[in-house]
Amino acid sequence: MAEKPEEILKLFSKSEELLEMFRKGRAFTEELMYENERLRYRSVQLEREKMDLSGTLVREIERIKMENAQLTQKVEFFNSRFEQIEAENKDFAQRYVEVEEQNESLANLYVASYRLHSTLDPSEVVMCINEILMNMIGSEEFGLFVVDEESNELLLAGYEGEIAARLERGRVSFGEGLEGIVAQTGEAFFTEGAGEHGEVCACIPLKIKERVVGVVAIYRLLKHKGGLSQLDHKLLELLAGHAATALVSSRLYAEKDRKLKTIEGFMSLLRVK
Amino acid sequence: MSGKAFLVVDDSATFRQLLCMSLARLDGIKESDITQAIDGQDALEKVREGQFDLILTDIRMPNMDGLEFVRRVRTELNQKDLPIIIISTKGSEEDIQLGMSMGANGYLSKPISMAKLRELVTGIIPE
Repeated sequence: MAEKPEEILKLFSKSEELLEMFRKGRAFTEELMYENERLRYRSVQLEREKMDLSGTLVREIERIKMENAQLTQKVEFFNSRFEQIEAENKDFAQRYVEVEEQNESLANLYVASYRLHSTLDPSEVVMCINEILMNMIGSEEFGLFVVDEESNELLLAGYEGEIAARLERGRVSFGEGLEGIVAQTGEAFFTEGAGEHGEVCACIPLKIKERVVGVVAIYRLLKHKGGLSQLDHKLLELLAGHAATALVSSRLYAEKDRKLKTIEGFMSLLRVK
Repeated sequence: MSGKAFLVVDDSATFRQLLCMSLARLDGIKESDITQAIDGQDALEKVREGQFDLILTDIRMPNMDGLEFVRRVRTELNQKDLPIIIISTKGSEEDIQLGMSMGANGYLSKPISMAKLRELVTGIIPE
């Protein structure tokens, strides 16, 4: 059974090679196991990171959703506030127009009443009423009548247009015609709107308390006026009271002044004698 | 419109007062900036004597009417650039054309509204 030494050596060398191969295999297996461990660790790590990220993502989505809801609420609030401010703005603009109209109306009424009471000369008072009727109301044809208490008639004291030519003697009896009826009843009369050529019928009594001292009758307005406005009605209301007072007080003053001058004349004559 | 001088020409004292009050309600205008004239003759003398930025005149006036006044301001006084607004009870298209042909820069019909007066005045003299 003795083998040859070359064969033994060959066998020994092969077993050495085999051993070396096993050693290498072991080292490789160990390396693989280490790599496997590392990869598993990395996988766990990535899994954790993934979970962390998805958690963050969910939280971020929730936060953005909340922010979105808040912003939507804000937009809704701003929209409603904008609408509210716009409505307020419109309301202010409307009120501005109203205040402007009221100012205009007050300015007209102030000037009219100021002018009516700025003189004690009856002819100036009549002129002032004429000016108000022409320039402020826009009457083209009108008559201003004063009550003549002696004859119980209306006497035409101021006019514009053809009324003087239409009236015989420039007088109207109480109860006759619209002017006479208004003087008798003390009730104003108005027609709505104006005709094609400005024809209108407005007749107002000039009164001190219940006593009628005159009548203003408007027969035609300026062609470009559509009718009597609210301001015109206010001016006519003002005329009804203030013009009456101005007319009567100026007439009384003129009468007293005339009497005073007559008495003074007598007195100076007596002194001379 | 602060510091601007205005001339109001009308034979009706009532309307002059109303117009002065209305002008004084525009921004920057004081009643002391407004001069009054009782007819065209009076107004012509005032234009000769002073400097005005805007004239507002009636048409129907004694001595010299508004149209003659405008014509003389443009020709006699050679004030071609002086703005003039006519304010009159005459409000037909022909009346307006006649007024503008005489050299007026604007036309308002009586009774005046504050809004129209503001529009016309600020159109000629910016606020």
